[in-house]
Amino acid sequence: MNINWTKERSLMLSRALTWAVLILACALLFLIPIITIWYDNVSEKPPIMPILTAAFYLCDIIAIIALWQLKNLLANISKQELFTDCNTRCVRIISWCCFGVAAVMAALSFWRLLALLVAFIAAFVGLILRVVKNMLAAAAEMREENDFTI
Amino acid sequence: MPITVNLDVMMAKRKISAGDLAERIDITPANLSILKNNKAKAVRFSTLEAICRELDCQPGDILEFTKEE
Repeated sequence: MNINWTKERSLMLSRALTWAVLILACALLFLIPIITIWYDNVSEKPPIMPILTAAFYLCDIIAIIALWQLKNLLANISKQELFTDCNTRCVRIISWCCFGVAAVMAALSFWRLLALLVAFIAAFVGLILRVVKNMLAAAAEMREENDFTI
Repeated sequence: MPITVNLDVMMAKRKISAGDLAERIDITPANLSILKNNKAKAVRFSTLEAICRELDCQPGDILEFTKEE
């Protein structure tokens, strides 16, 4: 089957996926107590339900903030607004969200060592996004200079 | 910006409207407005040349440098 894959369709897919994950993250807010109980039951270590619940809630809220920014970023891209200060801000917030999750997971690793791996991955993604943000800021500056060269 | 564009002064001296000048130097009125209102980050030599030609002036008549305190 030959699907005519265009830039617009790719963008539409990204937006649809972002919305889907955003809805999932919002729904997860109501499911966190159930997930925490389940995790504490299957875990062989001593139960730490309040800590786990707090960590999961924090991570989920941070994820919702990041997804909202991602949604804004994709909306700007579809409006052909690429190298703007607004987009740079979005990427910067997402990057800080990753560092936020990394911090929460690093704290959780005192009780569950596996969380350290998640913390490392989140910090790594945050770092990559930070570099992308720096690049985007430089591109926005160049675009502005180009636009205001008469 | 320590560089000021005094295009409006020169235009008034030569009694030429913004629309006319924009057409003669082949730039959009919006870009001429950016230049006139000191919003421009840079000016191409070709644009400067066209402005000087049409207004019969020197670059120094349009651009002015003022020391920042």
